[in-house]
Amino acid sequence: MKTAIRKQMTISTEVMDLLNDQISLEMHASASYLAMASWCDQRELLNSKAFFYKQSEEERGHAMKIFEFVNDAGGAAISPAIPVVNNDFEGLREIYEASLDQEIEVTQSIYKCFKKARSVDDFASEVFLQWFVSEQVEEEDTVRGILDTFDLMGDMPLKMIDERLPKE
Amino acid sequence: MEILSDVTFNIQLRKNTFCNYQLKVDQKIMTLSFPQILQLRHKINNLTSEENLEHIIQNENYVLLFIADKKYLLFLEIPKLLDLKEELSYCFQSF
Repeated sequence: MKTAIRKQMTISTEVMDLLNDQISLEMHASASYLAMASWCDQRELLNSKAFFYKQSEEERGHAMKIFEFVNDAGGAAISPAIPVVNNDFEGLREIYEASLDQEIEVTQSIYKCFKKARSVDDFASEVFLQWFVSEQVEEEDTVRGILDTFDLMGDMPLKMIDERLPKE
Repeated sequence: MEILSDVTFNIQLRKNTFCNYQLKVDQKIMTLSFPQILQLRHKINNLTSEENLEHIIQNENYVLLFIADKKYLLFLEIPKLLDLKEELSYCFQSF
Protein backbone atom coordinates (compact mmCIF):
# COMPACT_ATOMS: atom_id res chain seq x y z
CA MET A 1 0.00 0.00 0.00
CA LYS A 2 2.08 2.60 -1.39
CA THR A 3 4.06 3.04 1.82
CA ALA A 4 1.61 5.29 3.68
CA ILE A 5 -1.24 2.80 4.05
CA ARG A 6 1.13 -0.17 4.33
CA LYS A 7 2.78 1.45 7.35
CA GLN A 8 -0.58 1.42 9.10
CA MET A 9 -1.67 -2.14 8.41
CA THR A 10 -0.15 -5.52 7.57
CA ILE A 11 -3.42 -7.11 6.52
CA SER A 12 -4.77 -6.80 2.99
CA THR A 13 -8.08 -4.93 2.90
CA GLU A 14 -9.64 -7.65 0.74
CA VAL A 15 -8.71 -10.30 3.32
CA MET A 16 -9.89 -7.98 6.10
CA ASP A 17 -13.34 -7.70 4.48
CA LEU A 18 -13.60 -11.48 4.16
CA LEU A 19 -12.45 -11.98 7.75
CA ASN A 20 -15.14 -9.56 8.91
CA ASP A 21 -17.68 -11.69 7.02
CA GLN A 22 -16.16 -14.71 8.75
CA ILE A 23 -16.60 -13.09 12.17
CA SER A 24 -20.26 -12.59 11.33
CA LEU A 25 -20.63 -16.22 10.24
CA GLU A 26 -18.94 -17.56 13.38
CA MET A 27 -21.12 -15.38 15.62
CA HIS A 28 -24.20 -16.54 13.77
CA ALA A 29 -23.06 -20.16 14.24
CA SER A 30 -22.59 -19.44 17.95
CA ALA A 31 -26.13 -18.04 18.24
CA SER A 32 -27.48 -20.95 16.25
CA TYR A 33 -25.79 -23.48 18.56
CA LEU A 34 -27.30 -21.65 21.51
CA ALA A 35 -30.78 -22.20 20.03
CA MET A 36 -29.96 -25.89 19.60
CA ALA A 37 -28.68 -26.08 23.19
CA SER A 38 -31.88 -24.52 24.45
CA TRP A 39 -34.03 -27.04 22.55
CA CYS A 40 -32.04 -29.91 24.11
CA ASP A 41 -31.99 -28.31 27.56
CA GLN A 42 -35.79 -28.01 27.61
CA ARG A 43 -36.06 -31.73 26.79
CA GLU A 44 -33.48 -32.85 29.35
CA LEU A 45 -31.13 -34.20 26.70
CA LEU A 46 -28.15 -33.63 28.97
CA ASN A 47 -25.24 -34.67 26.77
CA SER A 48 -26.55 -32.86 23.72
CA LYS A 49 -27.27 -29.68 25.63
CA ALA A 50 -23.72 -29.72 27.07
CA PHE A 51 -22.35 -30.36 23.57
CA PHE A 52 -24.21 -27.43 22.00
CA TYR A 53 -23.47 -25.00 24.84
CA LYS A 54 -19.82 -25.89 24.39
CA GLN A 55 -20.05 -25.51 20.61
CA SER A 56 -21.66 -22.11 21.04
CA GLU A 57 -18.78 -20.94 23.20
CA GLU A 58 -16.24 -22.40 20.81
CA GLU A 59 -17.70 -20.60 17.80
CA ARG A 60 -17.66 -17.34 19.73
CA GLY A 61 -14.06 -18.08 20.61
CA HIS A 62 -13.25 -18.48 16.92
CA ALA A 63 -14.94 -15.19 16.11
CA MET A 64 -12.98 -13.44 18.87
CA LYS A 65 -9.73 -14.92 17.64
CA ILE A 66 -10.33 -13.47 14.17
CA PHE A 67 -11.62 -10.21 15.64
CA GLU A 68 -8.43 -9.64 17.60
CA PHE A 69 -6.24 -10.70 14.69
CA VAL A 70 -7.85 -8.16 12.35
CA ASN A 71 -7.30 -5.34 14.86
CA ASP A 72 -3.77 -6.50 15.72
CA ALA A 73 -2.91 -6.45 12.02
CA GLY A 74 -3.93 -2.79 11.81
CA GLY A 75 -7.34 -3.41 10.30
CA ALA A 76 -10.81 -2.64 11.60
CA ALA A 77 -12.82 -5.52 13.02
CA ILE A 78 -16.56 -4.96 12.78
CA SER A 79 -18.92 -6.20 15.47
CA PRO A 80 -21.53 -8.07 13.42
CA ALA A 81 -25.30 -7.94 13.38
CA ILE A 82 -26.71 -11.42 13.92
CA PRO A 83 -29.42 -12.29 11.39
CA VAL A 84 -32.43 -14.43 12.21
CA VAL A 85 -31.61 -17.62 14.13
CA ASN A 86 -33.77 -20.71 13.73
CA ASN A 87 -35.24 -21.85 17.05
CA ASP A 88 -37.66 -24.32 15.53
CA PHE A 89 -36.50 -27.94 15.19
CA GLU A 90 -38.17 -31.26 14.43
CA GLY A 91 -35.90 -33.55 16.38
CA LEU A 92 -32.44 -34.27 17.72
CA ARG A 93 -31.11 -35.89 14.59
CA GLU A 94 -32.28 -32.93 12.51
CA ILE A 95 -30.40 -30.63 14.89
CA TYR A 96 -27.15 -32.53 14.41
CA GLU A 97 -27.68 -32.55 10.64
CA ALA A 98 -28.19 -28.78 10.71
CA SER A 99 -25.07 -28.54 12.82
CA LEU A 100 -23.04 -30.43 10.20
CA ASP A 101 -24.40 -28.20 7.41
CA GLN A 102 -23.38 -25.19 9.46
CA GLU A 103 -19.87 -26.52 10.02
CA ILE A 104 -19.49 -27.21 6.30
CA GLU A 105 -20.58 -23.65 5.53
CA VAL A 106 -17.98 -22.31 7.98
CA THR A 107 -15.29 -24.53 6.44
CA GLN A 108 -16.08 -23.31 2.93
CA SER A 109 -15.92 -19.73 4.13
CA ILE A 110 -12.53 -20.34 5.80
CA TYR A 111 -11.26 -21.78 2.51
CA LYS A 112 -12.45 -18.64 0.74
CA CYS A 113 -10.47 -16.44 3.16
CA PHE A 114 -7.45 -18.70 2.84
CA LYS A 115 -7.54 -18.60 -0.97
CA LYS A 116 -7.82 -14.82 -0.97
CA ALA A 117 -4.93 -14.43 1.49
CA ARG A 118 -2.82 -16.64 -0.76
CA SER A 119 -3.80 -14.83 -3.95
CA VAL A 120 -2.89 -11.38 -2.58
CA ASP A 121 0.32 -12.57 -0.88
CA ASP A 122 -1.00 -11.81 2.59
CA PHE A 123 1.24 -14.39 4.26
CA ALA A 124 0.45 -13.40 7.85
CA SER A 125 -3.26 -13.99 7.32
CA GLU A 126 -2.57 -17.24 5.49
CA VAL A 127 -0.53 -18.59 8.42
CA PHE A 128 -3.17 -17.37 10.87
CA LEU A 129 -5.91 -19.17 8.94
CA GLN A 130 -4.05 -22.49 8.88
CA TRP A 131 -5.20 -23.20 12.44
CA PHE A 132 -8.82 -22.74 11.36
CA VAL A 133 -8.42 -25.15 8.45
CA SER A 134 -7.29 -27.93 10.84
CA GLU A 135 -9.90 -26.97 13.42
CA GLN A 136 -12.71 -27.31 10.89
CA VAL A 137 -11.61 -30.85 9.95
CA GLU A 138 -11.95 -31.74 13.64
CA GLU A 139 -15.32 -30.01 14.03
CA GLU A 140 -16.85 -31.71 11.01
CA ASP A 141 -15.49 -35.09 12.11
CA THR A 142 -17.09 -34.78 15.57
CA VAL A 143 -20.55 -34.12 14.15
CA ARG A 144 -20.20 -36.88 11.54
CA GLY A 145 -19.29 -39.28 14.34
CA ILE A 146 -22.47 -38.32 16.20
CA LEU A 147 -24.61 -38.85 13.12
CA ASP A 148 -23.01 -42.31 12.76
CA THR A 149 -24.17 -43.08 16.32
CA PHE A 150 -27.73 -42.15 15.31
CA ASP A 151 -27.51 -44.60 12.39
CA LEU A 152 -26.12 -47.36 14.58
CA MET A 153 -28.78 -46.93 17.26
CA GLY A 154 -31.67 -46.93 14.82
CA ASP A 155 -35.03 -46.43 16.55
CA MET A 156 -33.81 -46.38 20.15
CA PRO A 157 -35.48 -43.80 22.44
CA LEU A 158 -34.04 -40.31 22.17
CA LYS A 159 -32.88 -40.26 25.78
CA MET A 160 -30.86 -43.46 25.28
CA ILE A 161 -29.21 -42.10 22.15
CA ASP A 162 -28.39 -38.87 23.96
CA GLU A 163 -26.68 -40.79 26.77
CA ARG A 164 -24.25 -42.24 24.24
CA LEU A 165 -23.34 -38.94 22.63
CA PRO A 166 -20.25 -36.93 23.54
CA LYS A 167 -20.62 -33.83 25.71
CA GLU A 168 -17.94 -31.95 23.83
CA MET B 1 2.48 16.64 2.23
CA GLU B 2 2.51 13.28 0.47
CA ILE B 3 -0.26 12.82 -2.06
CA LEU B 4 -1.77 9.36 -1.93
CA SER B 5 -3.88 9.86 -4.99
CA ASP B 6 -3.80 12.47 -7.67
CA VAL B 7 -6.50 11.23 -10.01
CA THR B 8 -9.55 12.72 -8.34
CA PHE B 9 -11.03 16.07 -9.06
CA ASN B 10 -13.49 16.94 -6.35
CA ILE B 11 -12.51 14.31 -3.86
CA GLN B 12 -9.00 13.79 -2.64
CA LEU B 13 -7.37 11.90 0.19
CA ARG B 14 -3.92 12.98 1.31
CA LYS B 15 -1.56 11.99 4.05
CA ASN B 16 -0.55 14.74 6.48
CA THR B 17 1.50 12.87 9.05
CA PHE B 18 1.94 9.23 10.07
CA CYS B 19 -1.57 8.80 11.41
CA ASN B 20 -3.24 11.89 10.09
CA TYR B 21 -5.02 12.16 6.77
CA GLN B 22 -6.84 14.91 4.99
CA LEU B 23 -9.99 14.27 3.01
CA LYS B 24 -11.20 16.96 0.67
CA VAL B 25 -14.73 16.75 -0.68
CA ASP B 26 -15.42 19.77 -2.89
CA GLN B 27 -14.47 22.73 -0.69
CA LYS B 28 -14.79 20.89 2.58
CA ILE B 29 -11.53 19.79 4.15
CA MET B 30 -11.60 17.18 6.91
CA THR B 31 -8.91 15.64 9.08
CA LEU B 32 -9.12 11.94 9.81
CA SER B 33 -7.02 9.40 11.68
CA PHE B 34 -6.30 6.01 10.09
CA PRO B 35 -8.96 4.10 12.05
CA GLN B 36 -11.45 6.77 10.99
CA ILE B 37 -10.49 6.18 7.37
CA LEU B 38 -11.04 2.44 7.81
CA GLN B 39 -14.43 3.21 9.34
CA LEU B 40 -15.29 5.50 6.43
CA ARG B 41 -14.25 2.80 3.96
CA HIS B 42 -16.54 0.32 5.71
CA LYS B 43 -19.48 2.73 5.66
CA ILE B 44 -18.99 3.64 2.02
CA ASN B 45 -18.63 0.01 0.92
CA ASN B 46 -21.79 -0.77 2.81
CA LEU B 47 -23.74 2.14 1.30
CA THR B 48 -22.62 1.30 -2.23
CA SER B 49 -23.70 -2.32 -2.16
CA GLU B 50 -26.15 -2.97 -4.99
CA GLU B 51 -29.09 -3.35 -2.60
CA ASN B 52 -28.36 -0.19 -0.61
CA LEU B 53 -27.67 1.91 -3.68
CA GLU B 54 -31.03 0.90 -5.11
CA HIS B 55 -32.70 1.82 -1.83
CA ILE B 56 -31.03 5.26 -1.82
CA ILE B 57 -31.95 5.93 -5.45
CA GLN B 58 -35.59 4.99 -4.86
CA ASN B 59 -35.84 7.22 -1.79
CA GLU B 60 -33.92 10.41 -1.00
CA ASN B 61 -31.31 9.99 -3.72
CA TYR B 62 -28.60 11.23 -1.37
CA VAL B 63 -26.97 10.23 1.90
CA LEU B 64 -26.00 12.18 4.98
CA LEU B 65 -22.95 10.63 6.46
CA PHE B 66 -21.23 11.27 9.76
CA ILE B 67 -17.50 10.70 9.51
CA ALA B 68 -14.42 10.95 11.73
CA ASP B 69 -16.25 9.90 14.89
CA LYS B 70 -19.18 12.20 14.06
CA LYS B 71 -16.95 15.24 13.78
CA TYR B 72 -18.12 16.04 10.24
CA LEU B 73 -21.35 15.59 8.38
CA LEU B 74 -21.19 14.94 4.64
CA PHE B 75 -23.94 15.40 2.11
CA LEU B 76 -23.32 12.97 -0.75
CA GLU B 77 -25.32 12.49 -3.88
CA ILE B 78 -24.94 9.22 -5.76
CA PRO B 79 -22.14 10.29 -8.16
CA LYS B 80 -20.16 11.76 -5.28
CA LEU B 81 -20.72 8.67 -3.18
CA LEU B 82 -19.31 6.54 -5.98
CA ASP B 83 -16.38 8.90 -6.46
CA LEU B 84 -15.53 8.64 -2.77
CA LYS B 85 -15.70 4.86 -2.95
CA GLU B 86 -13.33 4.91 -5.91
CA GLU B 87 -10.91 7.26 -4.20
CA LEU B 88 -10.81 5.11 -1.07
CA SER B 89 -10.42 1.86 -2.98
CA TYR B 90 -7.60 3.43 -5.00
CA CYS B 91 -5.76 4.37 -1.80
CA PHE B 92 -6.09 0.86 -0.42
CA GLN B 93 -5.35 -0.80 -3.73
CA SER B 94 -1.82 -2.13 -3.57
CA PHE B 95 -1.01 -4.39 -0.67
